Amino acid sequence: MSTATPLIHNELFSHGTYECSEMAPTRRFLVDFLGLDIVRPLPEAQYMWKGGPWSVICVRVQDGEAKEQGTQNHFKLSVATDADVDAAHAAALAHKEEFGIKRVLDIETSDGHRAFRLLDLNNTWWEISTVSQAYFDGVFAKGDGRH
Amino acid sequence: MNVQFKPGATSPHVKTRSIICGTLVTTDLKRARRMQEGAFDMECVEPSEGLMYVREKGHRPGEAKFGKPYWVLEVREVADIEVPQEMLNHWGFEASSQAAVDDAYQKLSANKAGYGITRVQKPAFRNGSYALYCVDKDSNWWEVEYRTPDLVYAALREKGDQFAD
Repeated sequence: MSTATPLIHNELFSHGTYECSEMAPTRRFLVDFLGLDIVRPLPEAQYMWKGGPWSVICVRVQDGEAKEQGTQNHFKLSVATDADVDAAHAAALAHKEEFGIKRVLDIETSDGHRAFRLLDLNNTWWEISTVSQAYFDGVFAKGDGRH
Repeated sequence: MNVQFKPGATSPHVKTRSIICGTLVTTDLKRARRMQEGAFDMECVEPSEGLMYVREKGHRPGEAKFGKPYWVLEVREVADIEVPQEMLNHWGFEASSQAAVDDAYQKLSANKAGYGITRVQKPAFRNGSYALYCVDKDSNWWEVEYRTPDLVYAALREKGDQFAD
């Protein structure tokens, strides 16, 4: 861990961003499929959250479609159990057309976490996973690995 | 005017507990860590080669935020950035005041080379917040913003929707 004085002191790691092409179908996907909470404080933006004070700001692209993101840049959602992952995967396959889901990858297990990824109507990847804050607590407590 | 309020769906298909993580990539993990710790005051850990997790400080046992929820950035080292990021694809930090944003601008501008930051935009008011943006060598964009109490994210959640289609 660095001991130097950091340039800035931040109060909160407060937000990330997500592009969308259309507000209404995006909101339906985020709320009814992914189960996120959302408000729309601006004409061109709606703010989503779940589980804490941070937000992901969904910004409507003014001209054209939302940028196509690769899997290198995606969001992970935490669910409680393996069965929740399986149910989400089955729902993604069953409701692809309804929610504009473009791709649904197979379920995988890595580091003890069950997960799958889907590509949404705005060309952004989401990962549904059993990874949890307790897992990250352990990782940070353990510190850097030897490599 | 509060035109409507729509809480989350009562029975969504995914039983999401939290937005737990966002992912991004770098071509130089050491540089990325130097920026996160040295510039943004974040806590980093590298559990395995080529992988780093980042979270805000204060969540260790005995610290102020211990036990409270947080989210994590997962940073992976890659040979190539497949999709360069733009301003609309950024990550943001909350500052305590407008003066704190100005101070961050001065310090980031003066020290950007050492942290792999290529550009720092002068702070400006936008959509009710006062913020600076900077971009790093991996094309990742970062925002440092101050919001007045009525516009912080928690307050906006309480207000509910201000617009509808």
